Amino acid sequence: MRIACPFCGERELGEFTYLGDAAPKRPLAFAADGAEQPDAQDLFFDYVYLRDNIAGDMNERWYHGGGCRSWLTVTRNTTTHEIKAVRAAPGAGAQKPAKAGAIS
Amino acid sequence: MAEYSWEARSPLRKAFAPGRIGLASGDAGIAMAEISDFSLVQVMARRGQVANVAKAAKKAWGALPPERPAAVVGKGATLIWTGPDQFFVLSAGSVPDPVPPLAAIFGGTASLSDQSGGRCLIQLSGTRARDALAKVSSIDLHDAVFPIGAAAATSIDHTGVNLWRGPDAANGSSVYSLLVFTSFADSLWHTLADAAAEYGVEATRTPLS
Ligand SMILES: [Zn+2]
Repeated sequence: MRIACPFCGERELGEFTYLGDAAPKRPLAFAADGAEQPDAQDLFFDYVYLRDNIAGDMNERWYHGGGCRSWLTVTRNTTTHEIKAVRAAPGAGAQKPAKAGAIS
Repeated sequence: MAEYSWEARSPLRKAFAPGRIGLASGDAGIAMAEISDFSLVQVMARRGQVANVAKAAKKAWGALPPERPAAVVGKGATLIWTGPDQFFVLSAGSVPDPVPPLAAIFGGTASLSDQSGGRCLIQLSGTRARDALAKVSSIDLHDAVFPIGAAAATSIDHTGVNLWRGPDAANGSSVYSLLVFTSFADSLWHTLADAAAEYGVEATRTPLS
């Protein structure tokens, strides 16, 4: 499997580390007024432990640690391993991807 | 505060031996050099400051920092892409602290970190340099893809390296430079020497000029 880093170009899998599903969003433990969210425990349990087991296209976080050290969001088909899109993860330092490398 | 007098030592002090490696007859196909006495600073543009960092670099070295994997030779420094909105400033001469002059250049638009003692600089040149490097790197090193000035943040033998191609040597052969963390330098040197041995290697140590 090869991943086309939007900054570096196409690279071998060994340069990347897999984090997992890009979908979970960290829930708020407290409301704006400082009060504890009544369902915070359940929300955090979901956030930390529960994952969908998707057969098909899935957005995942990958880390290009063996290269430019950027976090990436990769759309991968979990049954065929086809990679449909690679983009910089939001807040991964860069403002915009460089022109190098094809974004498939 | 106590004054320390550190003795600068090569990170290759275990692996490096000057002279011939591998094929002993004929001309060495590869010159492998440890390049010493350099200053290396990591520059990372702060959020929203990319344009100002580029402007400051242009003023200081007459060269814009690369926006894509490339190494740009400026006046007094080479700017090497290391990732989005970040690059190395490599210059000749070892100084106790290379950060203050750069802090003056960038004036708070970038975060700076001294890597001079943290990396080892290895240079491969000679008629067979590309052949040896191709054995251990997954980067396409063909002239059309990796010409003079090209750079890559990549891994060789599971070790992160910053690789770039500088101007050709006087004899017309390609010159590849590799920056590697000092603690991995011995290992990478062995890997490169093994890959190059069949072509004959001449190992030397030279200060950055
Ligand atoms: Zn990358």
